[in-house]
Amino acid sequence: MTAKDMKKISRENLWFNNPIFIQILGICSTLAVTNLLTNTLIMTLGVTFTAAFSNLTIAFMKEWIPRKVRMIVQVLIISFYVIIVDILLRAFLPEISKSLGPYVGLIITNCILMGRAEAFAQSNPPLPAFWDGLTSGIGYMWVLMVIAFVRELLGFGTLFGIPVTPSWFPQWTIMVMAPSAFFLVAILLWIAKNRMTGGKA
Amino acid sequence: MKKDGILYTVVFSFIVTFLFVFLLALANEGTAGIVQRNQELARQKAILSAMAIPFHTDQEVNTLYKSIEIVNKDGVQLYKSSQGGKAIYAKEFSGSGLWGTITGILSVDEQVTQIIGIQIVSHNETPGLGGRIADPWFKDQFRGLKVKNGKINVTFGAEAGSGKANKEEGVADGITGASRTSQSMDTILNGELVVLKKILGGSK
Repeated sequence: MTAKDMKKISRENLWFNNPIFIQILGICSTLAVTNLLTNTLIMTLGVTFTAAFSNLTIAFMKEWIPRKVRMIVQVLIISFYVIIVDILLRAFLPEISKSLGPYVGLIITNCILMGRAEAFAQSNPPLPAFWDGLTSGIGYMWVLMVIAFVRELLGFGTLFGIPVTPSWFPQWTIMVMAPSAFFLVAILLWIAKNRMTGGKA
Repeated sequence: MKKDGILYTVVFSFIVTFLFVFLLALANEGTAGIVQRNQELARQKAILSAMAIPFHTDQEVNTLYKSIEIVNKDGVQLYKSSQGGKAIYAKEFSGSGLWGTITGILSVDEQVTQIIGIQIVSHNETPGLGGRIADPWFKDQFRGLKVKNGKINVTFGAEAGSGKANKEEGVADGITGASRTSQSMDTILNGELVVLKKILGGSK
């Protein structure tokens, strides 16, 4: 894999083919766990870790995987890494594990993982696949962090749990709830699309 | 062996599944001790918080927890602590929420006239919605919440967040967007209050 390939893959995943902006994948978790920066960061790190390593593993094994059970094996590998994340969180970060609740387990169903496994890892060597998973995860992470930043700031008046807004600033309850994520995702999509197409869509 | 043949497929699937599940079992076994210790600590913390006993460090939790008496009344395990000459009781509760079981600690005074506090130990409610039952603002509503006619009321549906919450009247605000969870909390807590009242004989 040349530096040029790496750059191309990361440009695609971080911007031009961003999982949220273009592929519109992983929206469920985008709406649900973006009201606190800490939770969002841990969850998206989980997704990034899983995407990178499941892609790597699948790319390694692809020669031996029979086509008929290809997707079952992909899900198995993805679940394996997700459960590892879950076990690690439960053992070492119990508070965060508790506040994320079922959303760690639900990383398994995050479409980005299956999407990258099918679209990239199945037909590429291990290293580019690892890079692709990693950058896809980061592409997903940065968009979610932007949303979480706005939601936590306006909804709770805090950033990473640290109060930042003056006491007279009202907390917007809507920002804590799922609907606000719809608005924010839509606004971000609009801005991103506009930038990519230079305003002529 | 043909790669797409049935035999290869079956053998391959078996080996791959076995391997990954084996590794998971190892990881699970390896962290079981830590997880259990975390859970025990979380339970002790929950009991202390529900009883409004302040603590700062994990060591403190251990010492303070030892001062709590465990009493068995009518086959129900209660935690008893005395504060300012008055006895307060706590009981573990569990009940069904929207997605799964909600477990926690409910603490009341001896006559069951007011709630000392509640803590949530575990739940599977939607993060950001029903999951907010574990948030301080929700739990704090129960600090000193008066029990009226043996009941409290957690608002839900259109009533949630309507400003009806009133500690003196035993009304706590439910969570907007999580009616089922709020309703479950109402049902669970009232059920527990009935049990506690029966055991502690608070009707006198």
